[in-house]
Parts: sequence; C-alpha cells; structure tokens
Amino acid sequence: MTEPLLSVRDLKKHYPIRKGLFNRQVGAARAVDGISFDIEQGETLGLVGESGCGKSTAANSVIHLEEPTAGEVIFNGNGREGATRNTDGTHPNDVTKFDDGELMEFRRGAQMIFQDPSSSFDPRMPIGNAVGELLKVHGMSDRHRRRAIVEDLLERVGLSANDFDRYPHEFSGGQKQRIALARALVLNPDLIIADEPVSALDVSIQAEILSLIDDLQEEFGLSLLFISHDMSVIRQICDRVAVMYLGEIVEIGPVEEIFTNPQHPYTEALLSSIPTPDPRAELGGIELRGTVPSPTNPPSGCRFHTRCHKVIQPEGVDIDQGDWRGLLNFREKVITGEIDIEQVRENVAGGGTEPTDSEVRAEVRREFDISETVDDPDLEETLSEAMNLLLEDNAEMAGEFLSEEITTPCAETEPGTTVHAPDHESACLRHESRAAAEPNPADD
Amino acid sequence: MATKKSEEFDQVDWNEISRSGRFDLSINSIGMLVTTLPLVLLAVYDWQFLGERTPTFQFVGVDRGLESVDFFFIFTLLLAFWFLVLPLYQNPRMTRYYWKEFKQNRPAVVSLVWLGVVFVGGIVGPIVMDPPQQELLIAYQPPVFTSVVDTTPATCVGEVMNGRCYGTWEHPLGTTNAGKDVFTMIVYGMTISMQIAFITTTIVATIGISFGTLSAYAGGWVDEIMMRFVDIILSFPTFLMFLLILYIYGGGLGMFIVVFSLFAWGGTARYVRSKSLSISEEEFIKSSRISGASTYHVIRGHVVPNVASSIITQLTLLIPGFLLFEAQLAFLGIGDSTVPSWGQLISAGRSDLSFAPWIVLAPGIVLFLTILAFNFLGDALLDALNPEAEAENT
Repeated sequence: MTEPLLSVRDLKKHYPIRKGLFNRQVGAARAVDGISFDIEQGETLGLVGESGCGKSTAANSVIHLEEPTAGEVIFNGNGREGATRNTDGTHPNDVTKFDDGELMEFRRGAQMIFQDPSSSFDPRMPIGNAVGELLKVHGMSDRHRRRAIVEDLLERVGLSANDFDRYPHEFSGGQKQRIALARALVLNPDLIIADEPVSALDVSIQAEILSLIDDLQEEFGLSLLFISHDMSVIRQICDRVAVMYLGEIVEIGPVEEIFTNPQHPYTEALLSSIPTPDPRAELGGIELRGTVPSPTNPPSGCRFHTRCHKVIQPEGVDIDQGDWRGLLNFREKVITGEIDIEQVRENVAGGGTEPTDSEVRAEVRREFDISETVDDPDLEETLSEAMNLLLEDNAEMAGEFLSEEITTPCAETEPGTTVHAPDHESACLRHESRAAAEPNPADD
Repeated sequence: MATKKSEEFDQVDWNEISRSGRFDLSINSIGMLVTTLPLVLLAVYDWQFLGERTPTFQFVGVDRGLESVDFFFIFTLLLAFWFLVLPLYQNPRMTRYYWKEFKQNRPAVVSLVWLGVVFVGGIVGPIVMDPPQQELLIAYQPPVFTSVVDTTPATCVGEVMNGRCYGTWEHPLGTTNAGKDVFTMIVYGMTISMQIAFITTTIVATIGISFGTLSAYAGGWVDEIMMRFVDIILSFPTFLMFLLILYIYGGGLGMFIVVFSLFAWGGTARYVRSKSLSISEEEFIKSSRISGASTYHVIRGHVVPNVASSIITQLTLLIPGFLLFEAQLAFLGIGDSTVPSWGQLISAGRSDLSFAPWIVLAPGIVLFLTILAFNFLGDALLDALNPEAEAENT
C-alpha cells in the first residue's frame, strides 16, 4: 500500500493570548505553525529541534490531546486504509474531525510515551493497573484477562509478571520507561508517539530503551514519531528526520541524507553540536548567535534569519559573512533599544579615564564581531553614521536609519520548500535563488 | 474464547469486545450499595411507620431508638469501611509502605491507639452498657483510689474511713451531681465525638472535593465565581448563623453538625482546587486522557485519589476544631443538652468544681487527649502520605 499511515497537513496550533476584563484576544503564540509530514507503515520519523520550538505541541496536536487550530491529521491505521477524500475536500480519516466513537478507536491506533518517567505514572496506582487501565477504558471488563495480558506484556518489555502489583516509586527511571512502553503498546496500536522518551535517562539506560523500542517496532510493525533534541539518538533510531524551528519544519529527509548532506543552515548548526569522539577533529561547532525569537511574534520572512549564520546579503553586497551577521545583529539590537552606549563607555573606561569615541566604536565592533572596516564602502558609511547617532544618544534615529539602510532578503521573503533529492526537502531562500538562477545561467 | 489464546495484547479483537459491558462496579461499590440499602430501608421505616417515641428496633424486641444522626453516622461508617479500610486491605503493598512511614512517628502511633480506643468505645460502649441512670442518692461519688470528705456524697458507695469516702470500681471515675456514672457518660460521649468526627468529615470532604475539582476543571469565570463563593463561605460568621438557627428552630446535635460542616469546607475546596490544578498538569493525567478515558474517569480515577490522600491530613486537623467547638457551645449552655457529650458533662460539673473536680477533669482530660491525638495523627499522615516526601525518600 502506498498511502502513509499518518499524514499531517499544514497543522497549526496557536495559543490565544488574552488580556483585559473581557478576555479579548490580543495575539497568539504560534507554537506550531503549519507543519506537514508523512509517516509510512513501520517507519520511524524523528522530530528534532531545540526546546520551545513546538515539538511537543506538535505531538500533542497529532495525538489529539489538544485540539489543533487548523490543519489535517489523517490517520490511515485501524483498518481505515484506502479511504478517499470526500467531495467537499475533507478526508474521512481526518483525526481533527473524528467524533467521540471514532476518537476512541483512534486511541487504540495511536498511543504516546512521555518524557518524564517519574510523573507519567499515578503514584497511587499499581503499575499493572495503570497499564490495564487502557484495556478497561476500552471495554475489557474481565479483570483476569486484563491481568493476564498486562503480565505477558510486562515480561515482553523486560520486567517480570510479579511487578504487576508494585507501585511506580519502586521502579527506576529506565524501568518506568519500559512500563510506559508497555502502556503504549497494550492496545496494540499502529503508531506510537514518543516525546523525548530517553532524554531523562542515563546514557547506558538510553541505549537499552532505544534497542527495546527498536525490537518492539520490528516485532509489531509499529510506526514511530520520535521526538528528541538529541541528534545522536535520532541518528540511532530514525529512518527519516524532520527538523523544526520555531513552529515550522525547515528540513525533512532520510536520516543519512540529513546527517551527511544537510541543506538548511539550522540543520548544519544542530549537527555541528554533536560532539565527535575524535580528539583531533576540528572544533567546527557553528555557534548560533542572537536571541531565540518568541513564537508570539515570530520574525518576518524566514524565521531563522535572526540567528542564521548564512543569512543572505542583499544584491550588490558581498562582504565577509561574519561581518554581515554582526551588522544584522547590531541593527536588531539598536532597533529594539537593547544596546546601551553608556554601558559600553563604562566598560571601555574600566574605571579609568573617559574613553574616546573611537575606542567606543571599536568596542561595539568587537562586541558584534564586525571587523575594523567593512568591505563595502556604503555599508561602512552606514555603520559609522549609525554609531555617530548612537554616540549622540540618539538611539531612535539610529534604529530608523539602520532599518532603512541594512536589509536582508531573508527578512522579506518567506522561503518555499526546495526539493533536493526525492524525499529530501528544505525551506531556505538560498536554495530557492539557486534553483531560480539555474535555468537562466546567462544572468549570472 | 476459552479455546483461543487471547492473553496477549496483540491478539485482542477489539471489535469483539462490546461497549455495552462497560458498566462494571468495583467490589467496594457493590458492597457499599448492598449495605446501604438495608440502612436506607430502616431509616424510611423509622421515619414513616414508627411513632416519634417508638424505638426503632421494637419489632425485634430491643428497646433502642436511632436518631437521624445515628443513621447518618452508620452511613459514614459504611463509607469509611468500603472506601478506606477495604482498599487498605486490597492494596497490601501500599498499606505496608504507608505503615512503614507512619510508624516512624511514635506519638502518632500512640495517638492512633488512643483514637482506636475512643472509636471502639464509641461504637461498642452504648450497645453493651446501659445509659447512665439518674440516682440522686449516690451523687458525688469520688473516683476509685481517691477519697473525699464523707459529707460530699449523699451516701458513700465505698468504704468510709476516718471521715472520708473512698471511691470504688463500681464508679471508676466517680459520679455527677445527679448520681450518673462519669465513666459511662464518657463512653457515651465517645459516640457523640465519633459522630461529630465522621459526619463532619464526610460532609466537608464531599462538598470540598466536588467543589474544588469542579472549579479547577471548569476554569474561566465559573472558577472565578466558585472561588469567590468560597471566600464568602470562609468569611461567614458561622457562630452567629448557628445562634440564629438555634433561636428560630431550636438546636440539636444534628443541627450543630450540619451548620458547622456546611460552613467549614471552604478551605478544603480551595486546597483541592489548587491540588487538582497541579495534578492535572502531570503526565499521567495526559496519558490517561490519551487512553480515551472520559474527563469523569480521569477525575474519579486519578485526580480525586491523589487529592484525597493529601486532604486526609487537612480533614484530620479539622476534627479537633469541631470537638472543641461542641464543648464550648455546651459550656455556654447552648449545646444540645439531650446528648451526653463530653462538653455537656464538663458544663454540668463546673458549678461543683471546688469539691467534686473529677466531674470536669475526667471528660476534660479525655477531650484534651483526643484533640491532641487527632493533631498528632494529622502530622504523621502528612509525612506518610505526602508525595514530595515520598520522592525524596526513593
């Protein structure tokens, strides 16, 4: 069958921000802002990204723990295969439109494992009952049968049947995660969403749990959505990877492809964060500078442009990439009024004499990693002009001036997706311009 | 189905399992229903078919009447048995664990023993002992091992030596000004104290837990209104309210219990609300929700048990307040003078304090010990049941 088990289309989850007496909505935190991916039968899709980028929200929306704001989650498991779209464009297998009965059935098809093993079990319920609870909720009223099933399952995840009556506090973190796995499995689902299942565990225990997940997946043909911030774990267990940044998927592709040939600058940065066991290896870590933007007010254009180390220079400008990044950071800080020229002065003075203006300028350049002179005379002039304004304590004017003079295409255009190889896509303007340029090389 | 091996999770045919059989009651609920039914029938019989003065058990020839407070007391006892004692027996591991934690607190164990004595005395005492009889001839008998000037009692039951009347085992704690046996009255007072303790706890816990969880789960302005209502309850002058009702309708023990517990659940509701809010953020609630469980199931199966174990402490500390209050009202002379509570006994003996101090001291000491025991117990339960403490120990 060619249709995927799960296919998520343009999923959005916005949390409204309400204020005032009448709870008027004044904005929304766009935790997940239009993500799409497919998971095939028996496949493991990794979802990576730094904390706060919306991975867990995405998982909660997919499993319908939270109502998504928009988008479709099409689940083709549970014997619902082969459905076609209705005439009005809706899909009969769209989880977001399921009624209560269908949702109950969906619960049997998709389950979840949580990050924190210590809080994912009711401290006052024997773990056997916690696992058996799912059977009970789904109508199995025969308690002996429930017990038999759970005991069998406990043994399969590497515990003993005698553990049925024990309480969560009697188990270690790794054991609890095994029980969590048993609980996710007990309804025999097609899909398991694992939200950072090993990040709270010891490295040695991590490996055990990962190999257990792998074995079970093989045995029961499970599909897995594996969420993690740890690239090495992802590499170990996933078939495909989706990289998330601030509520959007920036790159998705097969795991080997992503690791050997990352296309999006953010993926590169993430990959460079994996420590290499070779002591002589070059410390090529790409350091992401700048602040993590808030999902309430995401940056315009490409959301990564405020921190991207490969941010595009406007047409006709060709300066050192580090300088360009520094200039943009400088611009951002001046506009938001976060730069305090008095503070810089004091730092330079260090309690000594009053520093000269040129010393202060040099210090600002040092702070933003901008070299002595910028290669482009126009930009150099802009920079000096802005600094003059700053030194005259006219930060507002400086901000206006900079926002007019220094611009990047990344902040203006939202990148579309570029297909690099079958199944390997990314969303970066650099690829788009390349793709656009290719058909017409004479322009270059 | 017996032929097919279906004890493995991946061989369960879910379509086969019907949804109709989902109404299955636990053994506890069944037991509760089965035992409550006769009680309700008896209450209805007593209320509808028997005259005001006819004892309830006349039909079996026992001359004993049950008041509405008694019916309610038995009901709370059944509740406590089926949903507190039996689960402890059903979950021996958890019980052992709690007991291990609990017994580290020695004063609390002693308190538990004392409360056990009061409880058993309160239940069994009135059944095996005759109610205290008024016998003016033997008024002011001293307790055993003590003596008073032999002019104090009308006639001395024990020996009279050197002009002093000695106490006897017949009246181990002496007698009152009406010749009633103080020990018997204290035993009868145990019943009253236990009734107050159990019934108020049940009322406060029921209202507090329902109100608190409802408020936490409703959220928004419903939550806001409910919590402001709790503020009103908390700031309500219950004593004045009680006086008002007392003068309009006349008071009784039942009235006391109802009025005071109806205005005492404010703190519990607030505590339950905050606790439910924090519990509902836990991952096990999420995992229960994605199992497909209804909100009711989640609240009943996870939130309430987790909240309950922490409010047990709070409730235990609430009981002494009620006991003291009852004694105070009795002392002020506005308590229920028909019931033989400790407070009534103290109040009856206060005018004889100078020459017959045992009438005040004996119930006073028992009251003091009981209140102290409840406080110790509450402290120990807090340590034994507190999940945070658990986490630190593991």
